[in-house]
Amino acid sequence: MNPTILPILLPLLTALLVLFWGKPGRPRRVLVAGSGIVQLALALWLVARSCTGESFVLTLGNWSAPFGIVLVIDPLAAIMLALSTFTALASILYGYAELSFRVEHPLRLPLTQFLLAGINLAFCTGDLFNLFVAFEIMLIASYALLTLEADDWDVKQAFPYLAVNLVGSTLFLCAAGLAYTLFGTLNFADIAMRASVMADDPRVLALGLLLLVVFGIKAGIFPLYYWLPNSYPTLPIPLAALYAGMLTKVGVYVLLRVFGTVLPHSLEPAHQLLAWLAGATMIFGVLGAISRNFIRGILAYHILSQIGFMVLAIGLFTPLSFAACIFYVIHHIIVKSSLFLIGGVGLCLNRTDNLDRMGNLWRHAPWLGVVFLCQALSLAGLPPLSGFWGKYAIVVVGLEKGAYVLVAASLVASILTLFSMLKIWNSAFWNSPDEREVCLWDLRWVKLCRVAAGMTVVSLGIGLGAEGVFRVAQEAAVRALDQEGYARVVFSRIGKGGATPP
Amino acid sequence: MQIETALLIGALFGCATYLILQNSFVRILFGFVVLTNAANLLVLSMSGNPAGRHAPIVGSVARPLVDPLPQALILTAIVIGFGVTAYLVLLLYRIFLDQRTTNAAELYEDQDTSEHT
Amino acid sequence: MNGPRSFIFNSTVRLVFFLVNVVAVYLLLRGHNAPGGGFIAGLATAISLIFLSLAVGVEGMHRLLRFDPVLLAAAGLVLAAGAGMLPMFVNQPFLEHFQFHLSNVPVLGEVHAGTPLLFDVGVFLVVVGVTCKMIFVFAKSAQGLRALVAEEERRYSSPVEQPIESDAPPASQEAAARPKEERHAN
Repeated sequence: MNPTILPILLPLLTALLVLFWGKPGRPRRVLVAGSGIVQLALALWLVARSCTGESFVLTLGNWSAPFGIVLVIDPLAAIMLALSTFTALASILYGYAELSFRVEHPLRLPLTQFLLAGINLAFCTGDLFNLFVAFEIMLIASYALLTLEADDWDVKQAFPYLAVNLVGSTLFLCAAGLAYTLFGTLNFADIAMRASVMADDPRVLALGLLLLVVFGIKAGIFPLYYWLPNSYPTLPIPLAALYAGMLTKVGVYVLLRVFGTVLPHSLEPAHQLLAWLAGATMIFGVLGAISRNFIRGILAYHILSQIGFMVLAIGLFTPLSFAACIFYVIHHIIVKSSLFLIGGVGLCLNRTDNLDRMGNLWRHAPWLGVVFLCQALSLAGLPPLSGFWGKYAIVVVGLEKGAYVLVAASLVASILTLFSMLKIWNSAFWNSPDEREVCLWDLRWVKLCRVAAGMTVVSLGIGLGAEGVFRVAQEAAVRALDQEGYARVVFSRIGKGGATPP
Repeated sequence: MQIETALLIGALFGCATYLILQNSFVRILFGFVVLTNAANLLVLSMSGNPAGRHAPIVGSVARPLVDPLPQALILTAIVIGFGVTAYLVLLLYRIFLDQRTTNAAELYEDQDTSEHT
Repeated sequence: MNGPRSFIFNSTVRLVFFLVNVVAVYLLLRGHNAPGGGFIAGLATAISLIFLSLAVGVEGMHRLLRFDPVLLAAAGLVLAAGAGMLPMFVNQPFLEHFQFHLSNVPVLGEVHAGTPLLFDVGVFLVVVGVTCKMIFVFAKSAQGLRALVAEEERRYSSPVEQPIESDAPPASQEAAARPKEERHAN
């Protein structure tokens, strides 16, 4: 049996089963956690297999490539699958520890699994329109989760999220239509082959810019990120961690895929634009973070500034910068999710995450402080933590390409990141006025802290084993940039309709 | 036929943009409905000039056919648009129940997002 | 939907309900090669149910339907996913389909059918379920009724929250805000 469909099918079936189950309870939770572990194991197996040179291709309905929809798992997709299933598992376990099943919202688990199915489909698909469908599955599940447990303030913040993403979806539909007229196909491999001979056609550039806007909205790059910083903090902590880790990174993944694998590599203006927008994203994101005074708000803005680093790596457009981008995505997803979880532990202990009213955490919960410091310094990019290696590679490529302004911007953004991480550290951990209560009697925090610490251990592992992870990222980058190889793999599977590679 | 369709698509996108930028919830809602329809029409026009071509139905193979793929895409997009519009209606209704206003400018007028979540 | 009920409307709707459903089944079955299919048939059936709810009132629909439309949708999703997965057990790709042609079936004569029909029935159920749920919930909350009955509330809403559609914002807002504060304490 072809395993390519399983990363999508498993969450979907889990969601349906849980939806039928209805009432929240312990068996239901065990089922979802078990499914999460199976999904993670499958994704890790896919990473291991695909990094040895294999690619998994599935022709849906047995229609061969340009005519039917294909699902392709190459190393890049496999890595993203592993990250999404890992983050989802951590988020689910954290949710279990945070709330008893008696007060759990019955729809939270099924919707999380639907969200995961959408995310995984976006990673696996090899077809532009199917990507649109995957985005919509993901977005609709995310709209529902965003307003599921919302009060009136939260619902108000959900509206910009919905409105901006609706416009993005409409533009994506238009882009898919234009791509079909331009190339006569929607299959990634087929587009790559046809676009390479019409690379200097201005219409290809126009399509590339339109796709840049669409995926820029999803990824949250500079002028298009308004939907993100106020809506993410309204989510419950475990979901905020999942959103912060995965949703914008789907946008980054698609930018990698579309500019690396699908469109011709000679779209210099689009790459330049990406790089400059990335520089602006870094600076504006980090300035926004400074303007916020509660942990979730600060972290939500830091997502944006970190997106800037990844998109800058895409905009520099060399195989090494792609590898740096993939490494950065691996590092960032885990660090950012775990920071949200750690913020949640602080919120559980101090009963608030407003920095003015927090304090005393270092005195009463030093391990939480250690975990926070590891992840916060990793986010800022101090050696030997994982963030340093990602930033180092990006800066090296930037200097090679002579993008001195952008490199300077990235360094400024890093310093400001360190500043706002220290702001959290000073207010929440170090600051110890006696009247701040720390609710150590609320024993949930021990379990919550364990989940966050588990993610931190993985993140430290990435930092210490950076060479091995970087090698995997390089393999993924080389394979993602190899358009002919991608097309060969996709067209090698012959089904109904016969293979007619152009 | 092509020119008229292009003009209509442009007009629809223009109207949608104008409506979405208004303050009233009802206009915003209509704006989004028009926007999805404009996009659907754009994709439909991608199947080329339909003059002299027939509907792509089994049994009419010998004649020139309209490209069926854009129609399949639109069908999917319509279904998705249907669901999202329903969600948007309920979201706006909920905001109206909470805030007792249908004016978006009033809604976001004096919110301080730096402290509150 | 409020206001006096009309006898003529009620009797007409009862007739139209069956006619529309016959058309829906026709659309569903011819969808394999001709225009039609699960989606449009589902919409037709949903329209018939909405007509019926206009005649008997959205409250009355509970007595008639007796189950939650979302379960219908979930069952449809299971059926469609199952139809897609079926070929995987005989080592074929996901969504591969098989057809068979039977002649001399009693009553029907020649029958041409295949697994796409199963998928289409799944789509049909999803569309009926989702559309009905959306319209009914919306109609009820717009009329000031409770959008979900007690059993559905256990299934779809948080155990610590109040329903939003009750027409007394200050009280319900306080109640809805309290559990939130317990968790976030802002």
